[in-house]
Amino acid sequence: MAAPETPNDSAGPLVATVDLEKQFAGTKALKGVSAQFLRGEVHGLLGENGAGKSTLIKILTGVYAPSGGQILLEGRPVEINSPLDAHRLGFGAVYQDAELVHGFTVGENILLGNEPGGAFVSSGAIHEEARRILGEMGIELDVYRLASTLSAAETQLVTLATLFHRRYKLIVLDEPTARLSAHEVDILFGLIDRFRKQGVTLIYISHRLGEIRRICDRITILRGGRVSATLDHSEITEDRVTELMVAKSTEDLRIENDGFSTGDVVLDVENLSAGNLEPLSFRVRAGEVLGITGPVGGGMEQVARALGGITEHEGRIRIDGKPVTISSPYGSLRSGIAIIPEDRRRQALFPNLSLANNIALPMLENLSRLGLVREDRKSRYAEGIIKRLAVHPDLPALPVKFFSGGNQQKAVIGKWMGAKAKVYIFVEPTAGVDVGAIKEIYLTILELAKAGAAVVLVSSAAEEIMTLSETVMVVHDGQLVHHAPKAECSHDQLLTLSLGGRPKLAV
Amino acid sequence: MQDSASDAAQGTSHDKAPAQSDGESLLLRLLRQWGTIIVIVLTAAGFSFVSPYFLTFSNFNNILFSMIVPCLVSIGLTYVVVAGSFDLSVGLCVTTTSIVCAFLIPVLGPWGAIVVALLVACGIGLINGLLVTYGRLSGIVVTLGMMFVLGGINIYLTGGYQVAVDYTEKAFRWIGQGRLQLTDDRKMAIGVPVIILAVIFAMHMVLFAKTRVGYYIRAVGDNAMAAFYSGIRVYHWVIVAFILSALTAGIGGVLLTSISSSAQPVGGEGYLLEAFAAVFLGATVLGKGKPHVFGTLLGVFFLYMVNSGMNMVGFPYAARQLFAGIILILAVGANAALNREEIHLKFI
Repeated sequence: MAAPETPNDSAGPLVATVDLEKQFAGTKALKGVSAQFLRGEVHGLLGENGAGKSTLIKILTGVYAPSGGQILLEGRPVEINSPLDAHRLGFGAVYQDAELVHGFTVGENILLGNEPGGAFVSSGAIHEEARRILGEMGIELDVYRLASTLSAAETQLVTLATLFHRRYKLIVLDEPTARLSAHEVDILFGLIDRFRKQGVTLIYISHRLGEIRRICDRITILRGGRVSATLDHSEITEDRVTELMVAKSTEDLRIENDGFSTGDVVLDVENLSAGNLEPLSFRVRAGEVLGITGPVGGGMEQVARALGGITEHEGRIRIDGKPVTISSPYGSLRSGIAIIPEDRRRQALFPNLSLANNIALPMLENLSRLGLVREDRKSRYAEGIIKRLAVHPDLPALPVKFFSGGNQQKAVIGKWMGAKAKVYIFVEPTAGVDVGAIKEIYLTILELAKAGAAVVLVSSAAEEIMTLSETVMVVHDGQLVHHAPKAECSHDQLLTLSLGGRPKLAV
Repeated sequence: MQDSASDAAQGTSHDKAPAQSDGESLLLRLLRQWGTIIVIVLTAAGFSFVSPYFLTFSNFNNILFSMIVPCLVSIGLTYVVVAGSFDLSVGLCVTTTSIVCAFLIPVLGPWGAIVVALLVACGIGLINGLLVTYGRLSGIVVTLGMMFVLGGINIYLTGGYQVAVDYTEKAFRWIGQGRLQLTDDRKMAIGVPVIILAVIFAMHMVLFAKTRVGYYIRAVGDNAMAAFYSGIRVYHWVIVAFILSALTAGIGGVLLTSISSSAQPVGGEGYLLEAFAAVFLGATVLGKGKPHVFGTLLGVFFLYMVNSGMNMVGFPYAARQLFAGIILILAVGANAALNREEIHLKFI
């Protein structure tokens, strides 16, 4: 490893890490990371799942303590032992799993920990200040609304607003666009530009290369807990980045759904309505992948929630021609529907259970004899799935909370692989998942289809829909605006459709 | 983007989506907000209909006087419950402070004894808080343990006998037994401890609703992770909640010593259960769904009002207990029905 220079003048980097190391329960997440972040730059941070991105920023923001190495702020070593230390030094972050205080209003959340006034808190002053901040950011939201009533995208915007008014030197954005619509992404990028002009350094973590190229001045690529390379804006090309991230050429990533559908209709949905979703009818044949897209919060999520038995709904659902009633996730599973939800941390995984136990959970009945779970069969079953999905690290006994986002997602998919469901519903299956893992997840989805399952893919990423679907539906404002085989729609048209523009297209 | 107009339209349409509460009936909203208070008023009306002595100044005074210690315990407990934990040691904290105070009056004089007794209470809260945060232990377990420890200490200190306060400690006894005459009518007098309760309640109202202390404790209890990421010292505020709980219970202990001119070696567990009932009853007041100091006050008042009313009408003790239990479940149940979550998966 090259010895990092020690800058003393103010022209040096704002923040530098020197041989930063971090160890979790025996696995090394960071193996000596030296990176430099310049004043007023947007610095992209890329890497596969488990490459150490999240660990690195959690160390910078005081959530984890490093096991070795140093952090330099303006050339001087600093100790960051808690988020409070990080705040004092001027480091702030929006985490992937950021949450709001649900019982507080939008305004109270924005100013939490930083309320105007002395010992006494004035609700009026807080909301006035919050309204000013949101106005300056160009976000229209009622500051008196309770955080619990916000959609995922609105939550994300409020989290961003919490950073705006604190005079940070360094701001980390971890997958900030994962839940945002195109319009909201524009708001975010406008905001990033404003920060940059003020001389704030931004570390931008994303898996979307288009965004990285649009917004980042430089990028650092991590691979296996080490810095793989640092590139200038002009050097950011898809081939180069992908190669540095996964050491595989982009050619391998091209996946196409050639169409596996057969004649038999597996899932037949008639006049399904739930929440803001207007009555909707569709059919999915065995082997078919139906992609449902649209703006976040526009109603596409409701399809998955209704079929998964999470939301009350109206309408008729038939599986293999037989009418089924779905009023709970249990009922949904009994009818042969497996759902892979978007929020895996909260809805799909048991963080303290081991990887193997997470994967084998729905199958325990089949892996038991006389009501007792056969440990040997269970581990054999789990190991098979782990191998098939290339979960990394390959440690069945490690609690699943120690795995990176992409590998956790593999675990969730693996959980349902043996369940032999007739219908698989994937909701944003690659949110927060890197290129290498995306490919494996895509292949798994197609494999399920090939084996004869009906697959419903709900995703806001047009590219994902185009890659995997055989049939495409666009739901906007609760209404179906497009429903046709993939061939009848180009990627750009799909994007315009889901953004809310409504070009005259065959419906 | 040329689509900015339609994007803006889309933005407003999201805003509408989650705000389904707009559609709910006015009646439902009124019930949620005022339901508990309406029930309290109706119950009071019912009792005053049956007994002419119920709605009198002296009975009101009696109710207030009987609820002084439980009310203090309940107000303190509110902070810990809001912070998302449990404090099962509050009841015995009252007894311990009461004993310490009674013991030290001959040694330090009344004021010194009060100060030391309250410091002891703060110490109990601090230990609870430290174990729950830095010690990484469960609040239920820690405070359950503390409850037994205090019970042991109380017996050890007193040897199982009550500790009397000397008859000559007039100033100290005035705190708990003094009365302030309002008019010439001898009945129109307010007990000094009732006034103390009112002052402490007012201080807690401000502390809970208007200062950073209450604000941050609420934030921590609602979503500790979000508070942690916002740079709030989560452990600090949880410890503060435990100290406030023990301190407020401790004030109750000092008043108890003064009211009865003695300290009892046992008892105190009863306060705990009443306090939990009051806190959860109070959470339904004004439709907040979470405990708050004002609600807790009404909760205690309601329990003691019902007790007094049923006593006057002639119900036996067993019936009063039964009634209090049913009221608690009904109030909390009605509140849950009115604030229906989409999926209910909490069983604590």
